[in-house]
Amino acid sequence: MNFHNLSIKRKLTLITMLTSSAALVLSALSFLIYDLVSFRHLLIQDLRTQAEIIGYNSAGAMEFKDVPAATATLTALTAKEDIVAAVLYTVDGKEFAHYSRTNDAFPKVLPPVSQALGYRFDGGYLQVFHDVTLNGEHLGTLFLQSDMRQWSVRAKRYGGILCIFVLVSGTFALFVSSKLQRLISRPILHLEDSMREVSVKKNYEVRATKSYGDEIGRLIDGFNTMLSEIQHRDGALRSANDELKTRTLELEKEILHRRQTQEELLTAKHTAEEASRAKSTFLANMSHELRTPLNAIIGYSEMLDEEARESGRSENVEDLRKIQSAGKHLLSLINDVLDLSKIEAGKMGLHLEDFEVLPLIDEIVTTVQPAAAKNSNEIKLHVSENVGFMRADITKVRQILFNLLSNACKFTDRGTITVDVDQNDRNGFIRFRVSDTGIGISEKQQQNLFFEFSQADASIARKYGGTGLGLAITHRFVQLMRGQISVESEPGKGSIFTVQLPTQVVLDTTKVARSAAANEGEASPAGSKIYQDTILVIDDDASVRDLMSRFLSKSGFRVVVASNGEEGLRLAKQEKPLVITLDVVMPEFDGWSVLKKLKSDPALSDIPVIIVTIVDNEPMGLDLGAASYLVKPVDRDRLAVLVEKYRMARSVDRPHSMPSAPGAKKPKRQTELKSIGDVHHADDLVGRRQ
Amino acid sequence: MPTILLVEDNEMNRDMLSRRLQRKGYTVIAAHDGEQGHLLACSKSPDLILMDISLPMMNGWEVTRLLKSNESTKHIPIIALTAHAMVTDREKAFEAGCDDYDTKPIEFSRLSEKIENFLLAKKLS
Repeated sequence: MNFHNLSIKRKLTLITMLTSSAALVLSALSFLIYDLVSFRHLLIQDLRTQAEIIGYNSAGAMEFKDVPAATATLTALTAKEDIVAAVLYTVDGKEFAHYSRTNDAFPKVLPPVSQALGYRFDGGYLQVFHDVTLNGEHLGTLFLQSDMRQWSVRAKRYGGILCIFVLVSGTFALFVSSKLQRLISRPILHLEDSMREVSVKKNYEVRATKSYGDEIGRLIDGFNTMLSEIQHRDGALRSANDELKTRTLELEKEILHRRQTQEELLTAKHTAEEASRAKSTFLANMSHELRTPLNAIIGYSEMLDEEARESGRSENVEDLRKIQSAGKHLLSLINDVLDLSKIEAGKMGLHLEDFEVLPLIDEIVTTVQPAAAKNSNEIKLHVSENVGFMRADITKVRQILFNLLSNACKFTDRGTITVDVDQNDRNGFIRFRVSDTGIGISEKQQQNLFFEFSQADASIARKYGGTGLGLAITHRFVQLMRGQISVESEPGKGSIFTVQLPTQVVLDTTKVARSAAANEGEASPAGSKIYQDTILVIDDDASVRDLMSRFLSKSGFRVVVASNGEEGLRLAKQEKPLVITLDVVMPEFDGWSVLKKLKSDPALSDIPVIIVTIVDNEPMGLDLGAASYLVKPVDRDRLAVLVEKYRMARSVDRPHSMPSAPGAKKPKRQTELKSIGDVHHADDLVGRRQ
Repeated sequence: MPTILLVEDNEMNRDMLSRRLQRKGYTVIAAHDGEQGHLLACSKSPDLILMDISLPMMNGWEVTRLLKSNESTKHIPIIALTAHAMVTDREKAFEAGCDDYDTKPIEFSRLSEKIENFLLAKKLS
């Protein structure tokens, strides 16, 4: 096992034990070495002393060459266990006497006498050479050899003691250190336990117990501080989380509530739409149901009236007229209600057509004349000279003016009703002003005047009759045609109603084209299907498109319009028109490019193209293949002659492709062509705008 | 005198209109529903048809479509008479093939002028 991964307890124990044991062993070893070294010195000293004594004792024997005495002296060495051998040499180096403890202890080769005096170690033995002298005379040399038995015994014994001592003291050190290591390891282990509890159980309330004021104690303090900080934050986090949960729950409830509300609203909306549809259907049905008997009432009374007059029985005529007028009044009320419901349902459409304003005014004035006469009112008419044609929904214009005039007649007694009509060429509006000298309308009443079912005063309904719908409808009609209506009045002095309508009421492009086609059908109902020759008008200017389609459809053509080159090309392919009129200056794709494209397409290259432009560059147009070139403002007569020419050319080219036109059609078309001159007012206006 | 076929389900209107037309000198044959109107148009070849639109059995649009798709009757001018006067009625009328269209209650002078125009055109052709 790796030491590094041992538990701190073991590490501490081991460190302590090893440290103390090492110190112990070192000190014991140094002591042992010292002892053995000094003991050897002692042994050397002792051997030299022995040598001195033996040398002294054997000097006599040497003097007298008494070998047995010398040998006896040497044999005394038996008492000394260490000394294994002793030899006496004569001066000339010959052996005189010797001693050996055992046979094998005696050295095989005796060291030569010539050796230096003193001690030396040789082969594990201590050897001493000593001079034998007597009265200063050198007699020979003594050699002693010791096997240092005492020393090795002592070394062995001391080594054993040392081992036992180290073992015992090591065991003791282990015991002590294992007890003492707790001082350090216990707080650390406790800290570890606390940390484990925190990390495993996420219990931030645990605190480690501080035992001592040492570093570990401070560590524990820091740990506890950290824990309480975490606990605090955890608490804050938890409460924030709880709050978040509560809020989320509330939010979900809110969302649910809103969704429910939304669904309810949607249901309510559907219900309301359903109800509105039901209302429209109901009104349509009701109007039908009401009109059918009215049809009979008015019809029969008219018939009886005619019969009565023819047969000269005039006594009933007056009553029959009353029935008729009551029937017609009822009819107008039904129509009012129906109109209003149609406007509210967004189903009121505009049928635009061109008409002359003056005859319309005359017609309306004639119609209200009886009402004016009833209250002895005089109607004055001022129509300014520049008033000519306008393009609008004639039925609605008629109804607007009729409503204003009949109101004026109704609320004026023996007074004057003035109708002023003039046209503002700058802003393209035509203004109708109906002023009377009647009872007038107070300022407060004026505010509600144009709203449904709000006559100026409830008593008015009793006195003058009416539904209170007339002005509301008038107002809505004016709005539909993008005009304005206003009133000025002073009670007792009279009222002035002013209506301003665009001279050219327009819908969007596609609707204009469609209604132009519809108008064509209306203008000549019996033969509308015969004039199917189509002319494609390509021009980016809406007013030019409008003007051209108006004029051309009047001349009996079906007109298709395109507001840009691309659309023009598409329609040319789709419609295969008889003639194309083409503007040059257009954004993106100009007329020249359109012309080139038309002429390069074999399917379209035969279609004559009339350039209608403000750019005076006829040679270029003709070079590119245009059939004719007209410079704006367009000369209507020339255009009429041109298109007629192409129509004739086509019917000559392809007689079978033309439907057989009844004789009645031709004169009619020609009269229309002649009547182009009448359109000059409107033309001038548009021409200037170009 | 020209013959006019009047297709109208309301008895009073039928009676009133036919009498007024007769007083103008036209021969009037009347039908009270779409089917009868179709049969009479085919068998009697009238000079003009006044066609009410809300009819039992077969409505005015359908009768008009049938008559206009038939070679022998398609030349007969048809004037639709509708009480609805909705924007779509007018478009429907022309779509179905009606030659003209008038709203009820009928203004007799206007209607008789239309009739005269059609008959005159027919005579000229």
